Amino acid sequence: MKTKSLYPYYLIWPALLVYCVFFVLPALIGLFYSFTDWRLDRETLKFIGWDNFKQIFSDKTLILALKNTFIFAIVTVIGKNVLGIALAIGLNMRLKSKNLLRAIFYSPSILSVLVISIVFTPMLRTDGTINKFLEAIGLGVFGQSWLTNPSIVIWTVALVSIWQHTGFQMAIYLAGLQSISKEYYEAATIDGAGVWSTFSKITLPLLLPAININLMLTLIGGLKVFSEVFVLTGGGPGNASQVVGTIILRAFGEGNWGMGTAINTLLFAAVTVISIPLLIFMRRKEVAE
Amino acid sequence: MSYTRKLALRNYIVEIFLLIASLIIIVPLLMMIFGSFMTSSEVLRFKLALPDKWMFSNYTQVFKEGGLGRAFLNGLLITGVSSIVNIITSSAAAFILVRRESKLSSFLYMFFFMGLIAPMSIITTIRVVQWLGFYGSITSVIFIYAALNVAFSVFLYSGFIKSIPRALDEVAFLEGASMLAVFFRIITPLIVPVNATVAIMVFMSVWNDITIPLYFLTDSSDWTMPLSVYNFYGKYSRDWNLIFADLVMTSLPVLVLYLFAQKYIVSGLTAGAVKG
Repeated sequence: MKTKSLYPYYLIWPALLVYCVFFVLPALIGLFYSFTDWRLDRETLKFIGWDNFKQIFSDKTLILALKNTFIFAIVTVIGKNVLGIALAIGLNMRLKSKNLLRAIFYSPSILSVLVISIVFTPMLRTDGTINKFLEAIGLGVFGQSWLTNPSIVIWTVALVSIWQHTGFQMAIYLAGLQSISKEYYEAATIDGAGVWSTFSKITLPLLLPAININLMLTLIGGLKVFSEVFVLTGGGPGNASQVVGTIILRAFGEGNWGMGTAINTLLFAAVTVISIPLLIFMRRKEVAE
Repeated sequence: MSYTRKLALRNYIVEIFLLIASLIIIVPLLMMIFGSFMTSSEVLRFKLALPDKWMFSNYTQVFKEGGLGRAFLNGLLITGVSSIVNIITSSAAAFILVRRESKLSSFLYMFFFMGLIAPMSIITTIRVVQWLGFYGSITSVIFIYAALNVAFSVFLYSGFIKSIPRALDEVAFLEGASMLAVFFRIITPLIVPVNATVAIMVFMSVWNDITIPLYFLTDSSDWTMPLSVYNFYGKYSRDWNLIFADLVMTSLPVLVLYLFAQKYIVSGLTAGAVKG
């Protein structure tokens, strides 16, 4: 009893209050409004059950937006983590330019997504820098209309995001690698273990906490994508690169608020259903190692 | 070939490969920086080259026409106050959550942790802010950022405070110190490194964000730098030299902060995220 009263709960109140009023309360209200026909131009609202959700799944643009969101999330999770681990391992070796290279690879991730997206816009045009470069090295056949070809545009946006943020993942992996004791590697060298078996038997398992946190961060960030698409394509051409985030902005602009919150609720459900089991699974693996 | 020489050779190959790979990062950034000093016709070649003549006047022109001075101060106010609010409230909450080992405190920890996962519900947040009567104001944006960052900050603080021995505060309690005295005179000095990490992380994410100002700052005189840049980008879509100068200026504050504070970013992430 005594120790508990030493740490009274009231110190939690300020954080809890800000968090509840500006984050939790809107989420709960959103849950309610997703089942209504709430519109900007109407004061009275009607409870319409699952109609918003039915409409989402019968609307081609909205389904495409959901599909694009998932493509973006999966591509960026794989890209940022595979490249992040590779860079971290390379930059954990005894290289002369190690510190400089670390700073270079990390640098884009401290800048605004807006800045990077605008810088890439002229590079990605059909007559842009990237296509010119591909031509110059004889790979002109791979030239693309990166932002105007509907079938690849979401991949382009994902690549820009990988380009920008892999350095952040690399930094967390570097922190993870540096907490692995050198003795493991010395023992492995004495036992004559090859590069691959050292990687799969020592590095990868001991890196699990870092992998865990990075998978969560990239997955959740990927599902919440907005700024990249908003600046690079605005959801276009047509609706080819719409994602949940841009669809919500559109629904908001059209005054279609009930629908907008329904899409948000769907995103909320998707993120929770995917990330919580993943979190539990990864934690268990971590303990087992 | 001896083992060490083989190792040295392997390091050379990796180093050369990584140096070449780093060009992929460097070239677009240099194009932006060099381009910001070019004339509007020269920049349209979008080539990596030094400017023929260094046009420093691009910067003064952008600064005046883009209204960047105002946007800079807005950004400083918003990021500064929301970081401070976030640091004080989150560290106090994490302190109690870690020290009290009860069902309620572990529930509250999970409750905060959900904020890392759940996406924000923007349209209804606008509604709540309207009810409170300050929609469209800088104050609303400050509170929203403070709330959005609570989850990550509590997570980082908890990981760190766990490593501070309980005995430290118990001795102080025996000496008759109050809880506030313990928190401010014992815990606060010990968590200075995490404060730095949280401050930098919050500062960077808030400074760089465009989503919240886009929805919540209805008056353009309240805009932060990135949103002003977005507006400028729409207006001056032909003058890439000016756009690039605008982008460089928006990036400078975070770049400066990063140069001064980089050691805290990595050490804080290590302590809070990887080990925590």
